[in-house]
Amino acid sequence: MAILEVEHICKSFERTEVLKDISFSLEEGQVLSIIGSSGSGKTTLLRCLNFLERPDSGFIRVCGETLFDSGNPSSMQESEIRKKRLHFGLVFQSFNLFPQYTALGNVMLAKELLAKEQPDYKTRKKEIQEEIRVLAEELLKQMGLSDRMHNYPHQLSGGQCQRVAIARALALKPDILCFDEPTSALDPELTGEVLKVMKELAEQKTTMIIVTHEMAFARDVASHVIFMDDGYILEQGTPSQVFEHSHEERTRQFLSRFTNG
Amino acid sequence: MELMLEQMPIVIRSLNVGFLQTLKLFAVTLLGAVPLGLVIAFGSMSRFRPLSYFTKVIVWIIRGTPLMIQLLIIYYFPGLVLGTPIWGGGEAGRFLAASCSFIFNYACYFSEIYRGGIQSVPVGQEEAGLVLGMTRSQIFFKVTLLQMIKRIVPPMSNEIITLVKDTSLARIIALQEIIWAGQAFMKGSQGISGAIWPLFFTAVYYLIFSGILTVLLGRLEKKLDYFR
Amino acid sequence: MKKLIAVMLAGTMTAAMVTGCGGSNETPADAPAETESAAENGAEAEGAADTEAAAETDEAEADAASDESDLAYVQGKGTLVVGITDFEPMDYKDENGNWIGFDADMASAFAESLGVSAEFVEIDWDNKIMELDGKTIDCVWNGMTLTDEVKSAMECSNAYCNNAQIVIVPADKADQYQDVDSLADLTFAVEAGSAGEAEVTALGLACTPVKAQSDALMEVAAGTSDAAVIDSLMAAAMVGEGTGYENLTYTVGLNSEEYGVGFRKGSDLAKALNEFFAASYADGTMVETAETYGVQAAVIEQ
Repeated sequence: MAILEVEHICKSFERTEVLKDISFSLEEGQVLSIIGSSGSGKTTLLRCLNFLERPDSGFIRVCGETLFDSGNPSSMQESEIRKKRLHFGLVFQSFNLFPQYTALGNVMLAKELLAKEQPDYKTRKKEIQEEIRVLAEELLKQMGLSDRMHNYPHQLSGGQCQRVAIARALALKPDILCFDEPTSALDPELTGEVLKVMKELAEQKTTMIIVTHEMAFARDVASHVIFMDDGYILEQGTPSQVFEHSHEERTRQFLSRFTNG
Repeated sequence: MELMLEQMPIVIRSLNVGFLQTLKLFAVTLLGAVPLGLVIAFGSMSRFRPLSYFTKVIVWIIRGTPLMIQLLIIYYFPGLVLGTPIWGGGEAGRFLAASCSFIFNYACYFSEIYRGGIQSVPVGQEEAGLVLGMTRSQIFFKVTLLQMIKRIVPPMSNEIITLVKDTSLARIIALQEIIWAGQAFMKGSQGISGAIWPLFFTAVYYLIFSGILTVLLGRLEKKLDYFR
Repeated sequence: MKKLIAVMLAGTMTAAMVTGCGGSNETPADAPAETESAAENGAEAEGAADTEAAAETDEAEADAASDESDLAYVQGKGTLVVGITDFEPMDYKDENGNWIGFDADMASAFAESLGVSAEFVEIDWDNKIMELDGKTIDCVWNGMTLTDEVKSAMECSNAYCNNAQIVIVPADKADQYQDVDSLADLTFAVEAGSAGEAEVTALGLACTPVKAQSDALMEVAAGTSDAAVIDSLMAAAMVGEGTGYENLTYTVGLNSEEYGVGFRKGSDLAKALNEFFAASYADGTMVETAETYGVQAAVIEQ
C-alpha cells in the first residue's frame, strides 16, 4: 500500500489558483522529486503536506490514515493537526535553525518537548533526556558534524546549518521527509556536502519528497519525478520517463534550460 | 558652604526617604508593566478583530495623553465623580493610584516595543517550530521569546531609564518622592527653609541610579550576544 | 492558542480595570452603603446591631442623610483627614516626624473634640479643592488665605489669623523699593492662584506665576524676576539671616488678609469648628497654642 496518497488538492491565494487538482501517491522507501519553474506551486504543495497551508479541497492520507479531508472540518483542529504534522518532516530553503540553541540543542528541542507529554516523563526524566541526547549526537555524527555539535548556528557555514536542519527533522523520525529547495540558499561549493547527505538517506530507504532545481541530483536519486507547471502536475513517472522521454513540449523546454545552461 | 554642611545630614536623610519612594514606584511599575505589556501586545496582534481594535484604542488613549493627566484622573476621578474615594487620602492609597497609572501607561509603551520585537522574528522560526510538532505556546516561550528579548533590549533600556525620571510626576498627586522631598526645603521643612541646593542635589540620585541601570542593561545586552 | 490568549487578555484587562484603574463596576454600588451606615451609626451613636439594617435601608434616603452631614461622615470613619503642606510655623514636622505647628495643634484638638483622630496628609496645594471634593481629605488647614475664590469653592470657617502679602527684593536694592509707587518697573514672581498674585494683578504690575511661593523666591535669588510677593508669616521664616536666601529681604506690605480653614462646600464641619474656635479662644487655649509657635500677635478674636 502507498505510504502517501494525495488526491484532488486545490489551493488558491486570494484569486490566484496555485494548486489545481493535484493527485499523486508515494510508496514507502521511495524518493519523489518535484521539479518545475519558480511559481509553479511546488513549495505550496510541500507546505500543504506539512499543514503550513490549508488546501481548499481534496484529501491527504498517510499509511491509510486520513490526515486531511476538506469535507470533514473536524480533521482541521489545531491539536489534531499538531500530531498529524509529525508524519512529515520539513527541511527549509533558509534552514530556519533556532539561533539561540547550539546544533545539538536544535536537534534535541522538539523531541524533549514531546517527551514531556509522556506519562512516565517525571519518573524517567534523566533517562529520557539521555536517550534523546544520544540520538541527537548520533544523527549529527551521521551528518558529519561530530565536531560542530556545540556551535551556534551563526558559527556554522550554510552547508553545515542545512545538515543540522536535516538532523533536526530526522530526530522526530517522520514517515516522510520533505525538502524545500534545500540547496538554493547555499554557495555553489557548499551544495555538494548537503546533496551527499541526502543521497545517503536515499540509500538507507528514507521516504523523501524533494523540491529541487538540482536536475542532475533529481535524476540520480529519485525513484519518481513530478514536473509541475502553473499549478498542474504536467507529467510524472520514473526519472528516465520524465527526463529522457517527456511527452510534453513544456517539460522539454524547461529541461533544456538546465542541460544547456 | 558651612550652612550647607550643617544641613547636609538632615537633607540627605530626607532625600533618602523620598528616593526610597521613587525606587518603590520604579520597581512596582517595572514588575507590573513588563508582563502586562506582553498581554496588551498579544491583544493588539490578535486575529479576533474586536479585541485588537479595542486594545489599539486603549493604547492610543494612554499613549496619546500626558501621564500627569492620567495620574490626576485615576486618583481623583473615583472620589470626585463617583463619590467614592477608593484610594483614600493616605500615603498608601496615593502610592497605589500612582502605581496603577504608571503600570498601565508603561505597559502600553512596552506593548508596542514587544509587538515590534515579535514581528521582527522571521516567520520561518514559527514555521520550523510548527513543523516540529511544537504548540504555539511552546514556540513562543522556547523559540520566539528570547529572540524578541534580544531585539528589544536597546529600546526597552531607553524606556526604563525614562521611567526612572518619570516617577517624579507622581508628586502631582502628592506622592512624596525625591523631588518633593528636595523641594520641601525651599519652603521650609525640619528647621531648614529657603535651601535651594537639596532640589538640585536630587539630580545626583537620579544620575547614580540611571548609571547603575545602564550598566546592568548593558550587561544583559552582552549576555545575549552569544547568538545572532 | 490565539483564543486562549484572547481570553487571558480580556480577563486581565477586566481585572485591572476593576481593581485598579476606574473601579467603576463595583465600588459605586457598595461604598455609599458603607458610608451611610457608618454615618448613621456615628450620628445617632447607636449600637452595632443597627449597622447592618442601616446599610440595607432605602438607598436614596440614606444617601441624602450622608450628603447632609459631613460631621457624621467624619465621625463614622473615626478620622479627620487634614490636608496640609509643610509650612512652618503652621504645619511642620518635629524631629520625630510628627506634625506640629499652630494649625496642626489646633487641628488635633478640634479632632479630639469631635471624638475622632486627626490624620495629616501632605497635598499638592494646587489640587486642594479636588482633594476635598474627591473626599481624599476632609479639610484644608494650612494657613490658607480667605480669598473670594477660596470662599466660593469651599465652606470656610471664621478667620482665625492675620497675614499680609509682602514684597521680597534683593537686600542690596531694598532701599529703592519702600513704597508701592516705586514697584512700577519691577517684574514679579508670584505663586499661581495665590493672594499675592491677586494683589500684583490688581496693581497692574508685570508678573510671572510660578508653582509655589518658594519658587517665587528662587526666581528672585536667581535674578530671573526682580521681586516676589509672598505671605508675611512665611517670609519671616524663609528670608534673611540664617536662611538659604540671605541676600533677600522684605519691604512693602501690599494688603492685610486673614487665614481660615476650608471644608467641602455645604459641610456642617465649618460650623462645628467656629464653635470650637470660640470655645478655645474663650478659655485661652487658642492663644496659648499660638504662643508656642510665636504667632500670638496674629490671632483673631473669636
